[in-house]
Amino acid sequence: MRFLYYDRVDSLDKNVKIAGAKTFTLSEEFLRSHFRKQALVPGVIYIEAMAQLLGWLIIYSHDFNLSAVMSLVEDVKVPPALRPGFTAEIHGEIISTSRRDSLGRAWITIDGEVVASMNRIIYSHVHKVNPQDLRDLFYYYSGIRTVSSENA
Amino acid sequence: MRYLLIDHITELEPGKVIRGVKNVAMSEDFLEFHFPRNPIMPGVMLLEALTQLTGWYEAASSDFKSWFLISRVRKSNFYGFAFPGDQVELEVEPIESEDPSVRAYRGRGTVNGKKKIVADFEGTLIPLDEIEDVQGQKRFYQVLRRELKQR
Repeated sequence: MRFLYYDRVDSLDKNVKIAGAKTFTLSEEFLRSHFRKQALVPGVIYIEAMAQLLGWLIIYSHDFNLSAVMSLVEDVKVPPALRPGFTAEIHGEIISTSRRDSLGRAWITIDGEVVASMNRIIYSHVHKVNPQDLRDLFYYYSGIRTVSSENA
Repeated sequence: MRYLLIDHITELEPGKVIRGVKNVAMSEDFLEFHFPRNPIMPGVMLLEALTQLTGWYEAASSDFKSWFLISRVRKSNFYGFAFPGDQVELEVEPIESEDPSVRAYRGRGTVNGKKKIVADFEGTLIPLDEIEDVQGQKRFYQVLRRELKQR
């Protein structure tokens, strides 16, 4: 299993917002045991999807000079029982960001309808990173080939 | 990956608390990505461990008629990191819910007594037989409780 809960980044606006998508398929590894008589996407996976995508916006906004690790989530709603076979549109926004940490919010829509939301997420920043490694990973993971980066 | 985030259920007091253990192994698939060259147990997987422990709590408290599905996290704090080799001790207890159709719980995870996660979360109960083979689930509970007799 690859622990990646977005398939692509559709748009990103430095220091402001990001949008991406994740298609949930019946071949997801976690569905083997969640559950055996019905395949239901686990609620926490949506949290991970929102956290991963917004995390990349933070890293991108800091020019890949830091990484971001979730330290708090609050007021989160997730759909408890969705069967795979849908594309989740993931949206994230930065409320504030500093060298030390970031605060944001995120939500997920399916066919235009909000199915999950996270009104508050705080990330702690990690500064021991290799910016080039992060940049390479981001290009690969996001599918974006023409990311403008002022410090590139 | 087997999406089974509880290795051992150490204690159950119906109506009060359930306690269990998750051992973090370097062989976990998610550690390859979280993070590259810097393996840390994802906070969300600790939350999933608490969610699954809640499922076992509700199953064992209902003679395996119910399972728990998470629908809301009021608040979840993540402290420090759980690393490969760590044993995360988890516990879940029911807490008050304003809406009688919603169940609420507080879960905690510690490693060597140090807090790693504290989460208040909510969800609903679903009939276990709609999602799992009940006998199979009962047997797996005995495995987790180490109650299976040696044959």
